[in-house]
Amino acid sequence: MPDWQALVRSQLDGLALESHERAEVIEELAAHLDETFQGLRRRGFAEEDATHRCLNEVKDWQDLRRRIEIARRKENIMSNRVRQLWLPGLLTFTLAMGLLELMQKFFPEPFILHLDHPPVLLFYVPWLLTLPLAGAIGACLSKRAGGSMRMTLLSSVFPVLPLAAVFLTAIPVGLMLSHTLSHEIVAAAFLTLGIAWVAVPGLVLLVGGWLAQLFLSRRLDSRRIVGS
Amino acid sequence: MIGAGIKRGTAELAVLSVLEDGPLHGYEMARRIERQTKGALRFTLAALYPMLYRMEQRRWIRGSWETSDNGRRRRRYRLTPAGKKKVSPLRQEWSELFQALRRLKKVAHA
Repeated sequence: MPDWQALVRSQLDGLALESHERAEVIEELAAHLDETFQGLRRRGFAEEDATHRCLNEVKDWQDLRRRIEIARRKENIMSNRVRQLWLPGLLTFTLAMGLLELMQKFFPEPFILHLDHPPVLLFYVPWLLTLPLAGAIGACLSKRAGGSMRMTLLSSVFPVLPLAAVFLTAIPVGLMLSHTLSHEIVAAAFLTLGIAWVAVPGLVLLVGGWLAQLFLSRRLDSRRIVGS
Repeated sequence: MIGAGIKRGTAELAVLSVLEDGPLHGYEMARRIERQTKGALRFTLAALYPMLYRMEQRRWIRGSWETSDNGRRRRRYRLTPAGKKKVSPLRQEWSELFQALRRLKKVAHA
């Protein structure tokens, strides 16, 4: 019986993977050949014939080596994530910030909502009205790149994610460091900022993203029906 | 005999389908697919493993080493939750394609 490990190792010499990965691939392929050989022998094939059939499992070892290297690379996953989340997300973020800048220039007066003493909520209403468009664009780009519903919706709310992260870390830190101010005031300030800059814009972006995702999904479904 | 192009497209669905019944290692997978399709789909080592590695990278399946009773180490593959989700839409796509081809055949015969 041939030494399958030695055979696979020599044929896949130069397989461009990490050493432990390469060893695993060699072991796995050798085990497959070994089982194929044993199976053929059990079915009554002569040793020479069984060996010949096993060797026929791979016609071109160089081609196999290349295809294993391509399959094992992580770039595909990375590029999918970049195309489905990071690029649409960053574009949505840039668009949302650009729109904020523009709206603040043309409509500098924010809408002020007095809740209690002292919390006040500041809303740039014209900006909020344009945000569904930004969310929808982010969702469309992610969907077109093959993004799942989760990726699509994440891309649409991407502009508020950095702010949410800042608030989530700033609130506990702020509460710990606020020796001079009362905790109540700090908490109220963070709450109002969180509502005005994270919760409400996030919701508006999500509405735009969700509508775009719904529209694109229906369009895909109708294409499938027409196609079938 | 099914052509190479169609085989490539259906191969992933075949792997996902046999793994729905439970974890298998590569050789078992190839044998089972061959048996269940009455030899219409046959995977050589060269066809099977690059595809398994690709599917593993996409996180549709996960491989883990196991040692059998006779001391042999083998890598068994199982479906991941993402892989389970993929089976049904893939089946749907292929079913739609075959329906369309059947319709086309009917039109050609009309």
